[in-house]
Amino acid sequence: MSQDKKGGLKRRDFLKIIGVAGGTAAVAGGCSNPAEQIIPYVIPPEGIIPGVPNWYASTCRECPAGCGIIVKNREGRAIKVEGNPKNPINMGGSCAEGQAMLQGLYNPDRIRSPLSRSDLGRLEPQGWDNAQKMLTEKIEEVRKKGGNGRIVFLSDHNEGTLGNLIGDWMSALGGKHLTYEAYSYEPLKEANRIVFGIDKIPTYNIDKTKYLLSFGADFIETWLSPTLYARQFSEMHGYKDKSMGKFVHVEPRASLTGVNADEWVSIKPGTEAVLALGIANVIVSEGMSANGGGGFAGLLGAYTPEKVSSVTDVPVDTIKEIAGEFSSMQPSLAIGGGIANTSTNATETLVAINILNYVAGNVGQTIDFGNALTLSGVSTFKEISSLVDSMSKGEVDLLFIYNVNPVFTLPRSLGFEDALGKVPYVVSFSSFMDETTEKANLILPDSTTLESWGDFIPDARVHGLIQPVMTPVFNTRSTGDVILSVTAQLEGLKGRYTQVSYYDYLRDSWKRVWTSVTGGGDFEMFWNTALENGGIYRDVTPVQVSASGNISGVSFGEPEFTGDGDFYFMAYPSYKYYDGRGANKPWLQELPDAITTGVWDSWVEMHPDTAKRLGVKLGDFVKIESPYGTIETQAYVYEGIRPDTLAVMIGQGHTSYGRYAKDRGVNPLSILPVSTDKITGSFAWLTTKVKASGTGRNAQFVQTQYTTTQHDRDVAQMVTLTELEHGLHHEEHEEPDFYPPIEYDRYHWGMSIDLQKCTGCGACITACYAENNIPFVGKELVAKRRDMAWLRIDRFFEKSDNKAGFETRFLPMLCQQCNNAPCEPVCPVFATYHNPEGLNGMIYNRCVGTRYCSNNCTYSVRKFNWFSYKIPDPLNWQYNPDVTVRDKGVMEKCTFCVQRIIYAKDQAKDKGRDVLDGEFQVACQQSCASGAIEFGNLKDPESRVSKLSHDERGYRVLNQLNTQPNITYLKKVKWDKA
Amino acid sequence: MSEQNSLTYAKVNEDVIRMLDKPTVKWLALFLPVLGFVGFGMFCFLYQVYTGLGVAGYRHPVFWGVYITDFVFWVGIAHSGTLISAILYLFRASFRVSIYRIAEAMTVFAVLTAGLFPIIHLGRPWFFYWLFPYPNQRELWVNFKSPLLWDVFAVSTYLTVSSVFFFVGMIPDIAAIRDKVKEVPRKIAYTILSLGWKGSNWEWLHYSRAYLYFAAFATPLVLSVHSVVSWDFAMANLPGWHTTIFAPYFVAGAIFSGLGMVITLTIPIRKIFALEDYITLDNYDGMAKMIILTSLIVGYAYGVEFFMAWYSGSPAEWGQFYYRVTGEYALFYWIMVVCNVLIPIPLWFKSVRRNIKALFIISIFINIGMWFERFNIIVISLSQGFEPGAWGIYKVSWVEMGITVGSFAWFFMFFLIFIKTLPAISIAELKEILPVPKKEAKHHG
Repeated sequence: MSQDKKGGLKRRDFLKIIGVAGGTAAVAGGCSNPAEQIIPYVIPPEGIIPGVPNWYASTCRECPAGCGIIVKNREGRAIKVEGNPKNPINMGGSCAEGQAMLQGLYNPDRIRSPLSRSDLGRLEPQGWDNAQKMLTEKIEEVRKKGGNGRIVFLSDHNEGTLGNLIGDWMSALGGKHLTYEAYSYEPLKEANRIVFGIDKIPTYNIDKTKYLLSFGADFIETWLSPTLYARQFSEMHGYKDKSMGKFVHVEPRASLTGVNADEWVSIKPGTEAVLALGIANVIVSEGMSANGGGGFAGLLGAYTPEKVSSVTDVPVDTIKEIAGEFSSMQPSLAIGGGIANTSTNATETLVAINILNYVAGNVGQTIDFGNALTLSGVSTFKEISSLVDSMSKGEVDLLFIYNVNPVFTLPRSLGFEDALGKVPYVVSFSSFMDETTEKANLILPDSTTLESWGDFIPDARVHGLIQPVMTPVFNTRSTGDVILSVTAQLEGLKGRYTQVSYYDYLRDSWKRVWTSVTGGGDFEMFWNTALENGGIYRDVTPVQVSASGNISGVSFGEPEFTGDGDFYFMAYPSYKYYDGRGANKPWLQELPDAITTGVWDSWVEMHPDTAKRLGVKLGDFVKIESPYGTIETQAYVYEGIRPDTLAVMIGQGHTSYGRYAKDRGVNPLSILPVSTDKITGSFAWLTTKVKASGTGRNAQFVQTQYTTTQHDRDVAQMVTLTELEHGLHHEEHEEPDFYPPIEYDRYHWGMSIDLQKCTGCGACITACYAENNIPFVGKELVAKRRDMAWLRIDRFFEKSDNKAGFETRFLPMLCQQCNNAPCEPVCPVFATYHNPEGLNGMIYNRCVGTRYCSNNCTYSVRKFNWFSYKIPDPLNWQYNPDVTVRDKGVMEKCTFCVQRIIYAKDQAKDKGRDVLDGEFQVACQQSCASGAIEFGNLKDPESRVSKLSHDERGYRVLNQLNTQPNITYLKKVKWDKA
Repeated sequence: MSEQNSLTYAKVNEDVIRMLDKPTVKWLALFLPVLGFVGFGMFCFLYQVYTGLGVAGYRHPVFWGVYITDFVFWVGIAHSGTLISAILYLFRASFRVSIYRIAEAMTVFAVLTAGLFPIIHLGRPWFFYWLFPYPNQRELWVNFKSPLLWDVFAVSTYLTVSSVFFFVGMIPDIAAIRDKVKEVPRKIAYTILSLGWKGSNWEWLHYSRAYLYFAAFATPLVLSVHSVVSWDFAMANLPGWHTTIFAPYFVAGAIFSGLGMVITLTIPIRKIFALEDYITLDNYDGMAKMIILTSLIVGYAYGVEFFMAWYSGSPAEWGQFYYRVTGEYALFYWIMVVCNVLIPIPLWFKSVRRNIKALFIISIFINIGMWFERFNIIVISLSQGFEPGAWGIYKVSWVEMGITVGSFAWFFMFFLIFIKTLPAISIAELKEILPVPKKEAKHHG
């Protein structure tokens, strides 16, 4: 540095001082809010208009159901996932898992670049070129060794172009492609082959039935295609034109599906086959069968109600009653095959159910083999087991892992983890560091569904397209691209694929689809339409099947159980985490379980009698011991489970898989034996008898609702069918009021919630989190009841005269936007006020945080920002820019998605008209697959919500307090007819 | 006033001004820990402001807890001061003379303490001034429908009036001290505070009129302040809050707790400064009788609440009161009943009323019982509102405890400063009830 001749301060020194002073000021100013910078687009990207969202249609890959989704993109970032209304599977609805996809995309624990294991055993970041080179070299090395089947590609169920590419690639390399799904429903397929001669998983038409009998099929939760069936169930079970269908659920435990049944029938685990045959026997022997039992009459004769009752613990009267209803309320349908109930005689059970459907004349009417699920084609458990076998024998040199986590999802006793250690080189394409991936030698992180091109065929009707809705968040690459570019480097395979990118490969593959579907025309037009629609949808003709009657080889024997404990052990799949893949998404962790309202953990459900016997109470840690291991988790005491059964949810207990999943809860699969279904050899979950004992340890059971009943408050109301038939006396009279009624000009927003349709699945809650930037707070704060959900679902178990002795009522509870709101007058600063469209406005900036509004809220729906919740980068990329992110010290609550109202009004204003009914939907309403929620303008007498507000089942919660809510609830309907 | 026969005008002056002597080691031994606790309370508050209100024990749906309990408790404590000084002045109850200054000081300091809590409990305390209707360029105004706003006015009015009343009553005494002290800074301070009081006939004439008016003006405040505070709850629709009985119930409770606190405070002062001649057993007897009365009213209110809950036929009301006596907080409920209804019963006996130790113990229990009364009303009601799905239980956190302890320290800090700087017993009024000194003081007229 040269001296300045004139002395004094030089520019450089000046800047130094400024820098230090500024830094000091920044440190000292750490207490205040950090300055936020708004960086404008210097060169705005084409097609992005700030403030105007772009919607991209795509396909959800969170489970094999393959629902259509549309993704909202604002300024280049995906901010909201919604169901695609055009997709015939989900028709706009979605589940919580689908809503939470975004937290997979923006998960802070994603693998951010390729990783390779160094000689020291550590995983080290690599560039893509280098990583692909390593893979190429490895493949060449294995190929040189020669021999078939030394390369195995283990992927999830991936019917579509990528599946074909992998298959083709493997055959080129002399390898094997296996598709592994934890829940593969093999017995369902096999039972259909045995009875109907068609080894497919059909689509059931629950919506067309009048009477649904489920043998443990948890179709609202995980079974086959839960969003589809939730919607169909709502069609069938919703109250309409003075009638509704009846649903009876047979299971040892009242699952979420079970508590939605009109009757829950508790059955001894593994004996469903006997019950199904017993019911069929009654139908046939009492002459109620249309076909006289076909060829099954002889077989059925042995299953008298008395005998069946003694085997199954189901009373004789119940068997006869179900038989009567099943045959008289046509069309009826019996379904089965829920994972939790899969025992060693799973196929026999489903054969029995098929027989029952057949004798009642349901096949063809309510079972559609034309629209079979592609899930029928996944690898069997036998194939997976033999893979494990050959891996441990050292017969596999190179294993690719794609979108599966077998270390976690296979029972530990199968020994996949050890076998994996024997494979010299494991390549994982996972974007998350899960239990399998952390053992890999090379990790080539795949872009998630929302960042890549692809397609998926869930069933015969739907060929869904997947398109990137934003540029990849991290340095990831789509696996299709990796395969193409690696193959181009391989000896002798250089010209195998002409396409440079997977996008081209996909388009070329869709050209074949195009010719098969349209037989010509303009491909670009076809392609663009398919992209807009999220794929192509076609009608399939139903396939008529008939029962062969020849079911020799099916013996209907007793189920087998391993272990000598007192309790049947039920590991049931979770509707939030599926097979565990959802556990790394905080929204799902914080979504209260519908039955227990528990969050962020595992628990064991047990009957009150069992709890008494073991001397444990809610929150006590219970040790569950099988011959294969021990787990310890907290007790949840619940009437909806047999006293001889314990149930633990699958999906928690990760030892890896990111900060939100790791070391949380227990994995019940870790204590299961490798028991299989006798006929198919598929994995059987319900085959263990365990010992249970209290450990003496207790901790608070973290849940969001501490009450189990309504305490006579009558907030979740119910009405019987008989009462409805006689006509309800529907009161609508003006209460005298000190103040004149509020006059609304053009809009008066209102909502209706049909409690008969609400299943309690919680998709609306997650949708609300996503739409309204609601922070998740974690287990420690939920324990203090600091969860921030604007919408909660209260669940009440009420005493009942039904077979279970209790019934469950779900009550979605959110701000009722009262016309005479108790919160408004008590706010000293007008932070909450009544807006001219009937909403209770909440002005965060004006709120000083006296919290009086919440104390005076009749419905306790207001939430307070106890802290400033910071969520880690890049989860916050998901924030909806239309909704304020709240800071500590202010109240918040449901706004009826006011940002959507304003957007719709703006759009309507541009067109010079009022907002039309149904023109926009609020987030909870949009997500609801059951269509339980309606939203609209009460001022318009023709709007749906307006009509529903005068429905005979309509009531307003706690209206005796004259709060005049804008939400009308439609009472749940109880079956009370014989 | 037989006990005061030995007193003379000079001795009164001497005794009262003696209290203002240089702080002793004993005083410092009290004052320094008190300052420490104030500091800890401040630390807790700053920690809460920095981190967020979540460090307090609030759990949905219990959004008010210990802070509002403390607020109501301190407002209640503030009551007896005005009652003793103003109402009893109007009724010419002479037993007030020796204790009213302490009671008034207690009022002012208790209001100063109480006034902190509505700010402490805010989610964004740095915006507390938004609760005042001040003109601003955003044209935002306050909501006069909100009972919290009424609170702002009630408490600030009460603070103003009680401070003025406190100060006006002291002017002649300060003048007396001014005449006595010699050190320059103190002399100047007392000279300024005495507002040039000379004790002329003309001054006394106006002074006693003014004092009477102030007393008359302050009297309705005794009823209004706590009525308004009770409306914070009664105006809400919550079961357990929404009752018409709250205003008289709270006022009686406030007087009850205030008297308890006066006794708790005066007994040690009487002992330490050897003021047995001034604060007499007759004085305590009178206060104890008022405690019996207010305890009965409070006990009656407890009973009526249950009757009304049952008579209303509302499951929410009845559920709430059933929960109070049987639920998770039942212990607190029964502490309240025992402390406020059962423990004061011995005061029916004259021997207990005149037993200083017994009175002190009973007064401590009254303080505890009344704190829990407010806690029960606020927290138990909020725990189980109308909607059973939202019920929850509140657990106090260390931050709230710290601030509560700090608030007691804050109160005692003012009190300790007060007894060393201002006349704790009214010199002028005490002289009024002394026999007029005559040349032959053999018999008095």
